[in-house]
Amino acid sequence: MSAIEAGQTPEYKHTAVPSLPWGRWGLRTAALTYLTLMLIIPLAVIFQDGLREGLSGLWEQVTAPIAWSALMLSLWTSAVMTVINTVMGALTAYVLVRYEFPGKSLLNSIIDVPLAIPTLVTGVMLVVLFGPQQALGAWLKEEFDFSIIFAPPGIILALLFITFPFVVRAVQPVLIDMDQTQEEAATTLGARGWSIFRRITLPPLVLPLASGALLSFARAIGEFGAIVIVAGNIPLYSQTAAVYVLGEVESENRLGASAVSIVMVAIAFSLILLVGWLQRRRRKDNQ
Amino acid sequence: MSIILEQLTKRYDGHPVVNNVSLEVGDGEFFVLLGSSGSGKTTILSLIAGLTGADHGRVLLHGRDVTYLPTQERRVGFVFQNYALFQYMSVAENVEFGLSIRKVPAADRRKRRDELLDLVGLAGLGSRMPRQLSGGQQQRVALARALAYNPDVLLLDEPLGALDAKIRVELRRNLKAIQRKLGITTILVTHDQEEAFDLADRLGVMSFGRLLEVGTPDELYQKPQTEFVASFLGSGNLLLGKISETGVQLGGLHFPFTQEARREVDEGRVQVLFRPEDVALAPTPEALDCPELGQAVVEEVSFGGSFERLRLRLPPIPGVRPLSPPVAFGSSSILVEATRLPDQASRFPLEPGSQTWVGIHRIHTLEHPGLSFLIVSDGSRRSEAAIALGGQIARLAHARVTLIGCGMEGESMQTHLQEARKQLGSGLAALDEHTFPHSPAQAVTMAIEQQPYDLVILGFDPREDVPLVEQLLHVGEHHLLLVPGPQGTPVRALICVASGEPGKDDVLFAGRLVRHLGAEATLLSVLPPASKEADLQRRAEHFLEGGVQSLSLLGVPARTAIRSGIVADEIAQEMAQGGHDLLVLGVPLAKPSGRVSLSGLVAQILDRVSDRSILVVRSHYLGARTYPIINGSRDKLSTNGGR
Repeated sequence: MSAIEAGQTPEYKHTAVPSLPWGRWGLRTAALTYLTLMLIIPLAVIFQDGLREGLSGLWEQVTAPIAWSALMLSLWTSAVMTVINTVMGALTAYVLVRYEFPGKSLLNSIIDVPLAIPTLVTGVMLVVLFGPQQALGAWLKEEFDFSIIFAPPGIILALLFITFPFVVRAVQPVLIDMDQTQEEAATTLGARGWSIFRRITLPPLVLPLASGALLSFARAIGEFGAIVIVAGNIPLYSQTAAVYVLGEVESENRLGASAVSIVMVAIAFSLILLVGWLQRRRRKDNQ
Repeated sequence: MSIILEQLTKRYDGHPVVNNVSLEVGDGEFFVLLGSSGSGKTTILSLIAGLTGADHGRVLLHGRDVTYLPTQERRVGFVFQNYALFQYMSVAENVEFGLSIRKVPAADRRKRRDELLDLVGLAGLGSRMPRQLSGGQQQRVALARALAYNPDVLLLDEPLGALDAKIRVELRRNLKAIQRKLGITTILVTHDQEEAFDLADRLGVMSFGRLLEVGTPDELYQKPQTEFVASFLGSGNLLLGKISETGVQLGGLHFPFTQEARREVDEGRVQVLFRPEDVALAPTPEALDCPELGQAVVEEVSFGGSFERLRLRLPPIPGVRPLSPPVAFGSSSILVEATRLPDQASRFPLEPGSQTWVGIHRIHTLEHPGLSFLIVSDGSRRSEAAIALGGQIARLAHARVTLIGCGMEGESMQTHLQEARKQLGSGLAALDEHTFPHSPAQAVTMAIEQQPYDLVILGFDPREDVPLVEQLLHVGEHHLLLVPGPQGTPVRALICVASGEPGKDDVLFAGRLVRHLGAEATLLSVLPPASKEADLQRRAEHFLEGGVQSLSLLGVPARTAIRSGIVADEIAQEMAQGGHDLLVLGVPLAKPSGRVSLSGLVAQILDRVSDRSILVVRSHYLGARTYPIINGSRDKLSTNGGR
């Protein structure tokens, strides 16, 4: 019986795929050409451009004090944002899945709003709220000598706003599918709140949390629109890598622009690969 | 006693899913809760484990009141239906979980884990992950995990439900052996009768939140006390016969009482159960080794593995009414299920259409006969409400329902009945329907000629229907439930009793119904407005206390109220102020003239309380009595025999 089935399956697959050679090859060619034109050529060009003067030239451009400081600022603000976003995103998802409260479904749809509104508008909103001329911003400045706008905290706030959905949406479906009797079982065995969360609820969330966190980090590294408004773009203080690249393009230092761009692309690319690997592993775990 | 449940009640949205359940499970006992899905059996386990909080009642484990303790401190081992293994931990980590929470040193943990994996037959599989195991193995890991920290009691929620038949039988044996070896008090929940009979020291049958009966498998099978248990456990033949001082009468068949059962017997109806294996078949009455019921025609013969199953049709027997297996409404022939062993079948082969004499080796009478309701519908809005409420009460009370449509003809009647059937829905013990083209009063009269009912339910308008109520009370011995409009299942009943009168019957029947509903009761007595006699007051109090006592014996939480003033006004006020949604009124039996007159007090009350259901209870009601069990054993009858 199983031998017959084993024999039949590939045959079935064979007939199910369109058999016209031009159809099969035509589709592939179209897809690959599109991919090459849209993604690979631009990427290749920037690498070629950035490496015009060799690796040492690139290194020189990247380690120039202003460029280096911009890159470091991008990395550390994104990192801080990622930590906050991971914790708060997990918390938000948990509350949205496990608790009932009025306005829950409205709140659930609001979470996606940052994906839809232009990031420039995000920047404007933050300036309106925390700007030094506004009540709240002025009060913070006066009382605590703490400025948000035109300073790194503003960058972190802007990044948090933009990447808010990433962790929530990565964790939420896993929480929804989670079998809560495992938590009840832990209760009958004597476990309480925190140890149930740590030992039962959290382990299945680790991979989705990690991919949500990495995605938001990757998204944050290249953020431009919101930051250009919020950060004030003071070199060596509040100028991020993306804004630096714009400056270099405008001052016709193409090599500097390309070099920093290459670093950003490389970081984003390796993060995306990592996320892909994490998601494959999760799928394997679930099987 | 290891596990004691006292009057546990759990409601969801006002509906009792666990209704006043009391149970005692002894040390080391294997107790099985048996019931169909939705009967509340899993909720009872959750209440014991503290995964759900009780609305009422107490849970005691080894003498410790744990009702308000969190789950973690109750020390219960729980095996979930889906096992709920920790997917991100190995088998070993799963089993050790309860110990590591208790900070047991690693070496002791390992030792205990190995012991348990050995006990459940999974030694060496500690490093596997749960998803690498088969269903049966997962179930055993769940058991090992629940037992690892030495819990006080073990609770198993359908632990074998998800496995296929062969593994199930094997694991059942393992489970019983492990339970015996550890001597741990265990409650297992299942819907599988075979599993329940196989595992249980004692078992309890649940339905609609109530624990109907508790006993050893043999007791419950041979001597059930309720109609539900009689028909739920195995198949059975249930007839309505007559009971008298000397014994039980089934047509020409007489079963005398055994000596101890002779007490407190009056003439009356009784439900008689006999199992298919207690039916004897023979070609002549003389060849039967037991009293004969009559000659029957074989309707069906089927092969049941180690036995042959037959369905027989007997002609009507005067004074005997079939209840189960059900026959078509109005037909009075009697269906009987019988089984025979292969050698009996080969000695006297039968096929559909053959004639055979039918005898009964032994019978059992039900101590608590089931209720039967008659719902009257004339297609009005009021009767829709009556159908809805009647169906709900019948489901909770396991009553058989007969629906009669009246006052309509032809197609409109048919569509109406179809709607009504849909509305009544599923979960009824039995549903018959019949149509009469007459007025409601005539229709009820005709239906009652066919068979008596305990309760007649109908839509009611206090302005028009008082004469109808009088007529209905006149034609039979049933009680009446008057439904003025759409209403949920009653949760607070107001039972009005006139002090000094022997109102016991009404309190008892009302109590029985209220218990099925999971409702509370208030007993109300209204004294004359002028009376300041302390004596009268005291007598009323005393009388009501007696009523509360008999209600609490039935398991109905009750309180008392005494008012003085104009009776109808006071009742209406108490009804509104106490938030009551069911009014119970006792009315006397018909006068010698045969007429029931409601003009005066009852009519006033009906007029005043016009938006709540009213239960009109007859005093001296026959169905509220209990009957002793008859131990009609085979020897008893054969010494008596030769009939």
